[in-house]
Amino acid sequence: MTAKVMAPMMKLGGIIKRIFSWGSVNPEEMEKLRLDFKERYAYFKQLISANNKALEIMADIERTLKGERPFGMSFVRSSATTVSANVFQMVKKLQQLAPGRYVGLIPRYDDIENKINWILNEKKQIRDAPLVIPLGSIDKDRVDLVGGKMANLGEIKKNIGLNVPSGFVITSSAYRRFIDHNHLSVEIARQMQLADLYDIENLYELQARLHQLIIESELPRELEDAISDAWRKMEAEAGSGATVAMRSSALGEDEESSSFAGLHLSELNVSADHVIDSYKEIIASKYSLQAITYRLNKGIKDEDIAMCVGCLVMVDAASGGVIYSRNPIDIHDDSVFINATWGLPIAVVDGSVDSDLFVVSREPPLKTIHQDIKEKNKKLVCYPLEGVCRVDLTEDDVRNQPSINEQQAVTLAQMAIRIEDHYGTPQDIEWAISKKGEIHILQSRPLLQMESLKQDLPEGFKAKQKETVILKGGITACPGAACGTVCTVDSGLDILEFPEGAMLLTREAHPRWASLLSRASGIITEHGSFAGHLASVAREFGLPALFSVSGALNKLNNGDQITLDATGRSIHKGRVEYLLNKAKQKECLMIGSPVHETLKAVSRHIIPLNLLEPDDPGFAPENCMTFHDITRFIHEKSVHEMFSFGEGRNFAERSSKQLHYQVPMQWWILNLDDGFIKEVREKYVKLENIASIPMLAFWEGFAAIPWDGPPPLDGKGFMSVVSQSSASTAMTRSLGPKYADRNYIMISKNYCNISSRIGYHFSTLEALVGDQRAENFVSFQFKGGAADSSRRFKRVNFIKSILEEHGFRVETKKDNLISRVEGHERGYMLERIKILGYLTLHTRQIDMIMTNSDKVDYYRSKIKNDIGKIISAPPGAGDS
Amino acid sequence: MNTLTTLFVDDEKDFLETILKRMKKRHVNAYGAESGEEALSLLAHTPVDVVVLDIRMPGMDGIETLKEIKKRLPLVEVILLTGHASLEAAREGMESGAFDFMMKPVNIDELLYKLQDAHKNKSIQESKIKHLESKLKR
Repeated sequence: MTAKVMAPMMKLGGIIKRIFSWGSVNPEEMEKLRLDFKERYAYFKQLISANNKALEIMADIERTLKGERPFGMSFVRSSATTVSANVFQMVKKLQQLAPGRYVGLIPRYDDIENKINWILNEKKQIRDAPLVIPLGSIDKDRVDLVGGKMANLGEIKKNIGLNVPSGFVITSSAYRRFIDHNHLSVEIARQMQLADLYDIENLYELQARLHQLIIESELPRELEDAISDAWRKMEAEAGSGATVAMRSSALGEDEESSSFAGLHLSELNVSADHVIDSYKEIIASKYSLQAITYRLNKGIKDEDIAMCVGCLVMVDAASGGVIYSRNPIDIHDDSVFINATWGLPIAVVDGSVDSDLFVVSREPPLKTIHQDIKEKNKKLVCYPLEGVCRVDLTEDDVRNQPSINEQQAVTLAQMAIRIEDHYGTPQDIEWAISKKGEIHILQSRPLLQMESLKQDLPEGFKAKQKETVILKGGITACPGAACGTVCTVDSGLDILEFPEGAMLLTREAHPRWASLLSRASGIITEHGSFAGHLASVAREFGLPALFSVSGALNKLNNGDQITLDATGRSIHKGRVEYLLNKAKQKECLMIGSPVHETLKAVSRHIIPLNLLEPDDPGFAPENCMTFHDITRFIHEKSVHEMFSFGEGRNFAERSSKQLHYQVPMQWWILNLDDGFIKEVREKYVKLENIASIPMLAFWEGFAAIPWDGPPPLDGKGFMSVVSQSSASTAMTRSLGPKYADRNYIMISKNYCNISSRIGYHFSTLEALVGDQRAENFVSFQFKGGAADSSRRFKRVNFIKSILEEHGFRVETKKDNLISRVEGHERGYMLERIKILGYLTLHTRQIDMIMTNSDKVDYYRSKIKNDIGKIISAPPGAGDS
Repeated sequence: MNTLTTLFVDDEKDFLETILKRMKKRHVNAYGAESGEEALSLLAHTPVDVVVLDIRMPGMDGIETLKEIKKRLPLVEVILLTGHASLEAAREGMESGAFDFMMKPVNIDELLYKLQDAHKNKSIQESKIKHLESKLKR
């Protein structure tokens, strides 16, 4: 054993020797000591519990960083705050245990806290920006002021020269003024923190509360003035009595990967009387169920979304729709896709009607290469004063007539190509044709294109498909295949009942169903086109979607298991494996998202562990770089402080007893609190009198199977031991024969700290096990050995692999092993402790055979068998 | 240890009602107050072991209330329980003598355990004082 390894043992040995030695104290002083000890033990326990909580949150952060499940900024903030509060608690408790020592921890804590705060409070701020700005003076460079949607529209008007309605934008600066004026941000963050974001019912209530909060808020005076000013200027241009379309233009919206399609409100045909109310409604739509869910699933920060609102003179459209400048579901297809319907284009984007499709080839001269004219049974039109309404189309010739002519289709395609050329990326464009025949561009944003999923099913499957198919046809809104149980949704309340993994079936492809996309396996609708918002969001999430399937509501019943093949446009009975095999995995959208990046940045100041070896000179407060380092340092020192209590005052003798198990054992026990069943007056404590649940479990594992004795050595292993132990005998002798092989245990009913030296290795087990599942933990450290360093390292890794098999998290560095398991119920924890008890004895001296693979295999299988026996054994005394 | 008496201070009535009910089910004596001011006037005539305080409240906020409690009744332990995730607030609270800082929503058993810890601290301090007093008398 090297001197380095021995150092802490000597230190601890010395301290323990002093504590456990005999001496006389007067009763007065004894009572004082007893009280002090009780107090220290309470602090110590609180410190351990804070340590445990901090480590638990750290483990949670690490799991969350894998990005397998969505999380929001409230998770980031509350985890950082909880870790920080618990680490501070540890700092405080250590100071109570050892006043005036370790003060170097405070500047380290401050520094780490500041760094985390700096990351969490970063804000983009534009100062002195206008509250309202005319659309004519906007271009794409003003995106931070007006949001992506309006910046693009301004760009199209100003720099491409296409026809865009006139109007103005209520800016991000206005939004912030509104939020600050009503002190909304703290209240919203608090409400979000309290809600369970994974529980849809909870989200539903959250949405209602936040909506109410925003609607009841007031606009600051200067903002109201700015809006009415802009309105007057707009009327001067467009004529009095003009109405507007109010469109949300959130900052962070309209990026290619985050469309926010249709998640925020737009209000059509709004008159001067209601512009303020509508403004607040649009702001509130930032907290609609679908918007919250969307941000959560994509890792977008709530506070990053500033809601700008565009007010554009209303176009009373004869027809309207959406252009995709390329095929969204086939990246190799460069034709222009135009969806059109009678009346306002909103009917296309909200999926409420079936729309005509014109496919225009890009090769000059542009011409329509495909058209699909649907039966359009209704349209949306403006009321004369305010609002929009649905009108049924009754005349056959109108219902079945194309909503635009071929010339118009070609003109629209030309415009789409111009916009695409200007931006250099495919575009998703909303347009309207006025009753006078003028084309207006209402919106343009980048289009997400998908790789086409071509199906080449072997011949055999085609015949097989006929047996299972229920429905064929429809429009592929997002390719892919999925299996699920049918669940029909009709009203908003159905959202609450929607089971995880079900197949969403609904009449119209309305964007409000977007809130279910993270839970559904696929979507089927009777109406709607691939140009709607729901389709855009489905593609973003990679969720198979088949729209406009006639008869779907009739043919499919709730509870039926079906397989949706959105690529092959068919729906099948049961689970059809060969179709599903082709399907792509749902992607995880968290990695790389702003929320994920923030958690990653914060975790760098929390999680990495730099301090490992307590006997290293670098194991000092000033080297604590992370909260984890601080917890590690404090934990180590607190155990030390507990042991060193009463040093020189001969305190612990009244409570330290030698364990009697069949015969007196080399185990000395310090009862911290309620670790004995009844008070012990004599020198020995019998095992039957031990109340400590974790210690009994340890002992059970320790004593379960007798040790076979040292492993037979091969020549090299033997030489290695001889050369090492000549160094270590000297060390052992210096401790004095009496203490060389003693083991020490501190116990209470639910706690134990066991320092043992068995053979040549040194191990510490600490455990808290009670009915508080969240408080439970076991930590185990192991180091040393008699063989040379390479064999010792191998043994440590050997133990690591065994512990990992049993659910421990293990870190190793050289011959030092630290492992932990926490948060499980009592029975599980006690089994882990039994395993550690067993290993404490049975890993004795096996470092010597670590280079002999046959022997390693022998021990691996022996240990595996033994552990199997131990943990399947009926519960012992400690398990009651 | 004598039975534990607690006081919950929160301006959110629903929360207060629920938590008081849940405490009573667990045989914990629990009072409620809807503001820092109300809490202080209750403490003036009712013995309480542990106060559980919200941070953001209209009128006197949690930190002010905490400081006032520690000034008037230094032995009473205070746990901060809040939906307001802020490292600064946690730090300030703990420095001003709070026993601990917890985030809402809180696991009820975890809270109960914390209450017992705080109560234990208070009892130890009280017996130390008693010991000191009896020594002085002699």
